[in-house]
Amino acid sequence: MMSEFQIIKPYFKKYFFRLFVGIIAVLSVDFFQLCIPRLLKTAVDELGRLTPDNAIILRLALAISLLALLIAALRFIWRFLILGFSRLLEMELRNRLFSHILTLDRAFFQQRSAGDIMALSTNDLQAVQMACGMGVVASLDAIIMGLAALCCMIYIHPTLTVIALLPMPLLVIGARLLTRRLGRLFGTVQEQFSNLTEFSRDAIASIRLIKAYNQEDTYSSQFDKKGKIYVRNNFRLAFVHGTLFPLSSAIANASLLLVLWWGGRLVVDAEISIGDFIAFIAYLYMLTWPMMAMGWVVNLFQRGKISLQRIQEIFMARPLFSESEYPETVEEIQAIHLRNLSFAYPGSSQLVLRDVNLRIRPGILGIVGKTGSGKTTLCHLLTRLYPVEGGMIYFNNHDINKLGLADLRSHIAYIPQEVQLFSDSIAHNIRLGKNDATIEEVETAARMAVIHDEIMAMPDGYETMIGEKGILLSGGQRQRIALARGLLLNRPIMIIDDSFSAVDMETENKVIENLAEYLRGRICILVSHRIAPLRSAREIIVLENGAIVGRGSHDELLLKNNFYGTICRRQQVERF
Amino acid sequence: MRSKFGYFEDDYVPRERDGKLISKIIAIAAPHWKWVTFGLILSFGVTAASLALPYLLRLGIDQYIVNEELANIERVSGITQLSFLFLIIMLAGFGAQFCQIIVLEWAGQNMMHSLRRKLFIHTLHLPISFFNVTPVGRIVTRVTNDIQNMHEMFTSVVVTGVNDFIRLGGILILLFWMNWRLACVVSLVYPFLVLSTVLFGRLARDVSRQIRTSLAGLNTFIQENVSGVSVLQLFGVQQDSMNKYHILGEDYCQLVLRQIRIFGTFMPLIEFLQSIALSLIIWYGGGEIIREHMTLGDLTAFISYIRLFFQPVRELSQKYSIVQSAMASAERIFHLMDQEKTDSTGIIPLHIDGKIEFQGVSFSYEKNHPVLRNLTFTVRPGETLAIVGATGAGKSTIINLIERFHAPDEGAILLDGVNLQQLSSEWLRKIIGFVPQDLFIIAGTIRENIVLDLEVSDEDLDGILDLSQMSSVVKNLPDGLQTRIGEGFDLSRGQQQLMSLARVLARNPKILILDEATANVDSETEMLIDQALENVMSQRTCILIAHRLSTIRRADWILVMERGKIVESGSHDGLMAEKGHYFRLQRLLNITE
Repeated sequence: MMSEFQIIKPYFKKYFFRLFVGIIAVLSVDFFQLCIPRLLKTAVDELGRLTPDNAIILRLALAISLLALLIAALRFIWRFLILGFSRLLEMELRNRLFSHILTLDRAFFQQRSAGDIMALSTNDLQAVQMACGMGVVASLDAIIMGLAALCCMIYIHPTLTVIALLPMPLLVIGARLLTRRLGRLFGTVQEQFSNLTEFSRDAIASIRLIKAYNQEDTYSSQFDKKGKIYVRNNFRLAFVHGTLFPLSSAIANASLLLVLWWGGRLVVDAEISIGDFIAFIAYLYMLTWPMMAMGWVVNLFQRGKISLQRIQEIFMARPLFSESEYPETVEEIQAIHLRNLSFAYPGSSQLVLRDVNLRIRPGILGIVGKTGSGKTTLCHLLTRLYPVEGGMIYFNNHDINKLGLADLRSHIAYIPQEVQLFSDSIAHNIRLGKNDATIEEVETAARMAVIHDEIMAMPDGYETMIGEKGILLSGGQRQRIALARGLLLNRPIMIIDDSFSAVDMETENKVIENLAEYLRGRICILVSHRIAPLRSAREIIVLENGAIVGRGSHDELLLKNNFYGTICRRQQVERF
Repeated sequence: MRSKFGYFEDDYVPRERDGKLISKIIAIAAPHWKWVTFGLILSFGVTAASLALPYLLRLGIDQYIVNEELANIERVSGITQLSFLFLIIMLAGFGAQFCQIIVLEWAGQNMMHSLRRKLFIHTLHLPISFFNVTPVGRIVTRVTNDIQNMHEMFTSVVVTGVNDFIRLGGILILLFWMNWRLACVVSLVYPFLVLSTVLFGRLARDVSRQIRTSLAGLNTFIQENVSGVSVLQLFGVQQDSMNKYHILGEDYCQLVLRQIRIFGTFMPLIEFLQSIALSLIIWYGGGEIIREHMTLGDLTAFISYIRLFFQPVRELSQKYSIVQSAMASAERIFHLMDQEKTDSTGIIPLHIDGKIEFQGVSFSYEKNHPVLRNLTFTVRPGETLAIVGATGAGKSTIINLIERFHAPDEGAILLDGVNLQQLSSEWLRKIIGFVPQDLFIIAGTIRENIVLDLEVSDEDLDGILDLSQMSSVVKNLPDGLQTRIGEGFDLSRGQQQLMSLARVLARNPKILILDEATANVDSETEMLIDQALENVMSQRTCILIAHRLSTIRRADWILVMERGKIVESGSHDGLMAEKGHYFRLQRLLNITE
């Protein structure tokens, strides 16, 4: 397996110069910063003399100002170059991730939920970006500054350095232990928080019944109880937090104390000058930060690495099937043949379709069956969302596997069960597969789907943005917009997978009426839970456990198929 | 705010003036004033300790380390004494800071807990119409995340903010006290500091707001495209969405780079100002030392204090954004709090017969879409009414009106001659037993689900179980009544209805409303339900939304509804004789069952 760093290596190469200059800037900042205490020392020593020279002091103060200006400029440069680099890397990586994801097929998305991928493109990319930006800077800074400050301290007085640093291991160990405990407690608190969230969600979702049973008080007291547990754990968290935070400043102060006590003695004994003493304190301050930052930086890199591994997993994923090298093309599709079509989902041995033999010709083919009988799977196979073995599905006389994927799909308008609309204008949503469609074409499609009038009644008509406050489309409206989208494509094969389930009967009848003319000469596969739209079908098949258990016209099936007859009557009851 | 490709920031709450908002927030904190005051007192302690330490250093330098008038022995022992004092103050500071964090966390947690509780209870008492138009997720966010945001503000801004404020004040006082001339000179830096902070605050706020919007837009886009990826693939428009994506990603990246530039200017600028202050101290302070107006120790102390002074300034921008988001949360919380609760008070009649009358009732959820049209009927005490009709005929709405989830637009509903609107809704729901079609299960055992908040003895419960036929279900369960629902064990639809019946029986209501499950129920359970209904219905006024023949035939009176209107009504025999809708329905049901 290739190392996860391979993914980001190209970016480091691409932006090498930028990074190089940035790192030089970081190192320069460190160097100049270390000079300031030296200047301070010289100034203090000068002042400690019997007749200090004002001019020297002034010169030193000016030097500090100039250095500060230089440092500020360099800081700006590294921030812009290195942090900018991390952001550019993030953007390019995200671009690559997104375009890769668009090539993956359904099998992949069945293992990875959209939420999963979202987390990847937000949290994980963020972690990588942090490691490559702040992580690089902070680690360089901490190491260089820490070492340099340490050297300067040793240069002033080695023993004093050892004594001053005595409390530091305590800080490192204490921070480590407490951070670990903090992490654990934080996990518990998070869990309780989602517990609380889940509870309120349940309560609000069943608010009607809570009111009907006068259960408001029961729920309130349960909420109170859960809230108290949450508070208690938060409080425990505060104990750790409340120790960790003052501890770090206390330990820094302890070092200061040791310097005062032992270093003061050294000045008295004239082993070091008063200037050395003050510079030493300045270096000590410089050292505190790297000590505290080390843990943070290590954590940053660890998280970045883990995130990078997760991202790599996505890049390793490949579509299940690849295009044949010399795809055949098909001009006008007159018929689709299914020959002994059996199918099990990848990684499963259970057959979802068994021995389906079917010849689909222009006209409506109705498919009915219980949930899980294989209706949707059949639709998915026809659009090649999953691969099938050779010799099972033919378009005219071409095996589906030999056809180019894009070519095959350009013949099919598929309207899936779950409607997918995008946060954009309604017009854009209808135009999805045909960007250049005129507004007249869009309107015609919408009229056919019996949604035009409703769209016109919205504040901005076809330009109304879906998802805007107040404009919440009903399930039926969404389904009809998706239908219009499919109709607009004007393709010879239409697959409608139970797409009217939320449309009321009256409207549905109108849609069916409108479709009759449109569908003439086209192949239409109509999956439906309702019987009414199937009346005009040329043929209807009944699926059960993936096998065809009945086929014929509406009237034939009514007589000879038990399942069909039963649902038909049941629906009449509901509609009578 | 509208951005590219249709993302809208969900800031739907009307803006409230900050002053009003703050006074509301203070009102929440008020009951916890003791803890807050204690925390503030500790805050002085923490500040005093952190300022005392550099001062001790100064004393050490001036009085002992560079004081050549004293003998070396005295100087060393003086340093040791000072160090000891230093240690004590350091420990005291540590203790005070620890206590402060704990005390304020305690206060903050309790504050948020009571706010959360209040908000939750308030929400439960809001009218159903509120829930009809507000997505569940949004309400949940108020009770959880928004409160969390406010808590964050409390701990990381209010608390440290007060600390910082006291510290800044303390430092200024000390500086002027030590050497007012030098303090004045150093003050030359402050106008620049204030100016750049204010300017930066504004720039940073604007850019981070833009970034938030842009990022949310980007995330929505990714979310939609990932979940709709097969649609994109089927329609062959991947390239299209890739192009759009590039635009969004590029926009976001540009904004972030701008943020880097802003921060990249501000952070070094602050450090620069700090160094300038240092130079001023060395230059002017050096002069003061030469003029013998101050000592070397003073100079060191000045340097340390200036360092302490600049620390909070750097963290300012971060705090600013926390305050921003907390304020937005507070606004949303108070908006929810301002929603009017339903009034559950009203008349509580002493005696009840159970006569229900609908007098010309019309109702609609949305304007121009009437669901019930001029409905008039009467159910006499003890009588059973069955309502039949197609989906969408308005059957469930009748229940919603009787339960007083909504008020009729026109006409009136009377219980024993009293308008429902005048009755206490709490009392009303107590005397009405409602068996819903959808499940209502609380996490817990079957027993808990049946008794809910009632106190029921085991003997009484056994009686209820027998009457509701639930005992035969319970008998077959591994842990009987103590079986927990939902953890690897679920009741079937029919069993759920039996449990609902048991729940209703335990309350012994005067009026029973049953919304029969449409889903298939196995024949064994069906028999149990029939028996249970028989037991439940006697002695009560009943309204049944019926789907099964056996249930319908049980009724004294049948209403046939179509599109919000009564199209037929009468007894079973009478309606059969009419050979209308009901007759056809019966025939169909006969074939189906």
